[in-house]
Amino acid sequence: MNSSKLKAKDFITVGIFTAILIVVEFLCGMLGYIHPYIVASYVVMIPLVGAIPMMLFYTKVEKFGMITIMSVLIAIIMFVLGMGYLGAPLIVAAGVIADLIAKSGKYKSFKKTILSYGVFCLWICANYFPVIVTADSYRTDLLDGGYSAEYCDDLFRAINEKTIAVLLILCFVFGCIGAVIGKKVVKKHFEKAGIV
Amino acid sequence: MHIALDPRTKLYMILVVSMVVLMTATTPFLWGVRIFMTMVPIILLFIEKKYASAIRFLIFYGLALVLTFFFLSEESSGILTAILIGYCGIVVQFMPAMITAWYCVRTTKIDEFMSAMQKMHVPDGIAISLAVVMRFFPTIKEEYGAIRDAMKMRGISFGDGNALKMVEYRMIPLLFSCVNIGDELSAAAITRGLGGNVKRTSIIELKLHLWDILLMMLFTMVLAVFVYCKYFG
Repeated sequence: MNSSKLKAKDFITVGIFTAILIVVEFLCGMLGYIHPYIVASYVVMIPLVGAIPMMLFYTKVEKFGMITIMSVLIAIIMFVLGMGYLGAPLIVAAGVIADLIAKSGKYKSFKKTILSYGVFCLWICANYFPVIVTADSYRTDLLDGGYSAEYCDDLFRAINEKTIAVLLILCFVFGCIGAVIGKKVVKKHFEKAGIV
Repeated sequence: MHIALDPRTKLYMILVVSMVVLMTATTPFLWGVRIFMTMVPIILLFIEKKYASAIRFLIFYGLALVLTFFFLSEESSGILTAILIGYCGIVVQFMPAMITAWYCVRTTKIDEFMSAMQKMHVPDGIAISLAVVMRFFPTIKEEYGAIRDAMKMRGISFGDGNALKMVEYRMIPLLFSCVNIGDELSAAAITRGLGGNVKRTSIIELKLHLWDILLMMLFTMVLAVFVYCKYFG
């Protein structure tokens, strides 16, 4: 791997893992419609579950740009699925920073990988942006959209400009924990099988 | 009747629908515009002879609409209604975007998509990855079905009630097959000259037909009417 340019194979790898990550996100997202507190708990669930594919992805990353492209793809798909464009800058920023951190460890250092994944997980918070930035209109939107007032109250109790800091930190922390667990799983299954 | 839409038209449709989905309808007229907009991809699905999915979407969307309008209100409470509200909320709010995306993914061939991306000068990296993502959702579903069958056969569907195990049992085989499929896919793609240094040509000549232009105009109008009525009307 002397060339630092991305090849078709790398793009395909990015595509596959993005698809898996979106599926994970989507399945967790479905649960959120049961109760708003589950919406807030995305920051715990998605980093933990998503860590397994992501750690496998990190073993395949060797060049700058792959994590960045992934974040761009996620931003596009989030937009298409109706999550809005407000979070897009945060998603891409998290991706670029995560990429830089991983690059500084030459994509091999485990500590840097943990940090990088923690930062990458901040993209999940982008999903909360519409709730915070446009709180009032979002509330009326939800009510008009058929949600109950109870759901809205709970949602805004769980997610507002005060709790977003906590949510961001939680995201990062559980990203790091998830990375450790994910690495163990990858070691247990994939390195033994010789796939990595 | 056969209408082969240009991938660019489909992308434009996705863009407009996603934007409209972001703004909730507040008046009956806006609801009308929204429902009309959702009907377009459903009709297109019918034209493409995807009857099963078109009817499924129609029933799901219609049911959610009826429930939202006639049975649910701000005052409803209780666990069952909460779940129902959740279901209707997600369907009414996001279904239009999902139907459109589904229609586009199902009816666009990958080479058409790539050639459209090339024409719009999207960087190769994004185009290839996006094409793979598009192609991959059905594959994941298929693989997951196979894994679930295998688990049922051995009677370990619930992983002894351990949530961690439930995730692990499903995720690991899925990743295994996805990695393998990915390797095959890249081999196939490289054989076809993807990632070479020369500009790739495409066997399909993309051209905007009358239908494309009409649909684009229609969707531009929908967007304009929606924004105008919501914010200035």
